[in-house]
Amino acid sequence: MDPLLQETVLEKAGSIVRKVGSFLKMESYYDIDDILVEGQRVPVVFQQAVNGVDIDPSAETHCVEPGSKVELPYWLAHELHLRKVAKMKVPACFNQRTKLELGADGASVDLRSRCLYFYEFGCKIAPLVSDRDMGSFLLSAFRTRYQKILAKAHNAAFTAHSKLLSYLTKEETNLYEAAQSSMAAFKKWRIGGPRFERASVLGRKRKEAN
Amino acid sequence: MAGQSDPNVSIFSGEEVEFMAEDEMVEIVPNMRMEPLNMLCGDFGPFYPQMATQVPMWLAIALKKRGKCTIRPPEWMSVENLTQILEAERESQAAFQVLPFHYVEISSLLFDYASGDIPDLYMVRSLINDIRDARFLKVESSLESFEDARSSAVKVKNLSAMEVNVVRPFVGRALQAFYKHGSPDLVPNPEAMSARRPQATDNIQRRPLRRR
Repeated sequence: MDPLLQETVLEKAGSIVRKVGSFLKMESYYDIDDILVEGQRVPVVFQQAVNGVDIDPSAETHCVEPGSKVELPYWLAHELHLRKVAKMKVPACFNQRTKLELGADGASVDLRSRCLYFYEFGCKIAPLVSDRDMGSFLLSAFRTRYQKILAKAHNAAFTAHSKLLSYLTKEETNLYEAAQSSMAAFKKWRIGGPRFERASVLGRKRKEAN
Repeated sequence: MAGQSDPNVSIFSGEEVEFMAEDEMVEIVPNMRMEPLNMLCGDFGPFYPQMATQVPMWLAIALKKRGKCTIRPPEWMSVENLTQILEAERESQAAFQVLPFHYVEISSLLFDYASGDIPDLYMVRSLINDIRDARFLKVESSLESFEDARSSAVKVKNLSAMEVNVVRPFVGRALQAFYKHGSPDLVPNPEAMSARRPQATDNIQRRPLRRR
């Protein structure tokens, strides 16, 4: 193939991929959960000196030294990371201790208090931090916890599981509630109510003609 | 097509599934004489006293309410058949017995409107309740095992409309989550994974579907 043509084709393909990528990103643009996930804080280490910013209000100078450690929201840390200004570290909720606890008894770890958006945040962080096992760790954590949710979600009453609910992350809670509400709807249908809604005008007594 | 009762959730309510079930045909024995009914969905009748004819469930119920017919319960609603099905359901933990797609709704409609036409009503009702509970437990246990296979699909045969409808929101979300977490972007180094857990990665290629 003509090398020039090949280059054009490759460029075209690249632009299509970029477009699809930006479209997929836009899909969650108005998603409030996605916005909240991006507000989660990530520890970063600055690689370059940055002038004219006040990250710490009590700092004496208006610049950030290279090598200083700061916690920044994900959306900012992400951009800085891509520009190689700062390097992301693994956030506290994915530390070794959490990993060990999840490995020991995944179903009864209180993930809600560590990070409400544990999985979504993990998915965003995984390609950026140096921890290569993050993806498989998230998957295995979700798999263990899924079984527990499945066992509880479709049967007993809501109140019996308030302890379980206080452990679950946002995604898991959504899953649990989806199961609960569909089961409740089924029970409501089975017990049955009035099959016909009576129009409100029908019940009234006729007004006496004056 | 999504359910109409709640615009935010794509799930049918019990009433909507029941509405769909009312299109199933059922045999009635009219006690009056009537010309054929020409409906959009087909022609029904003519109706002669004591001559059995096939009509949709909704028409049967409408006639029944006016005392114009008796409904013959479908063959699968006999005590012997249901007992057999219940036993088979309890015996095998994996397979589901073949029942009409709308068996939950049809039986419930018949119990509500034509309870007098069903022989051994009490027995039939409790058998159907038992079958439904047994099947639902099996649905749950089959969902428990599907995530071992590391697949983004699950295959369960012979589920009925109502059973599918009850688990739909949960299963949909769960599969989505598994798909997201299992995507190759997030699990980027299969060789490192396979060094740690060879059996898990072997399963990915070979078993895309869990057969039942």
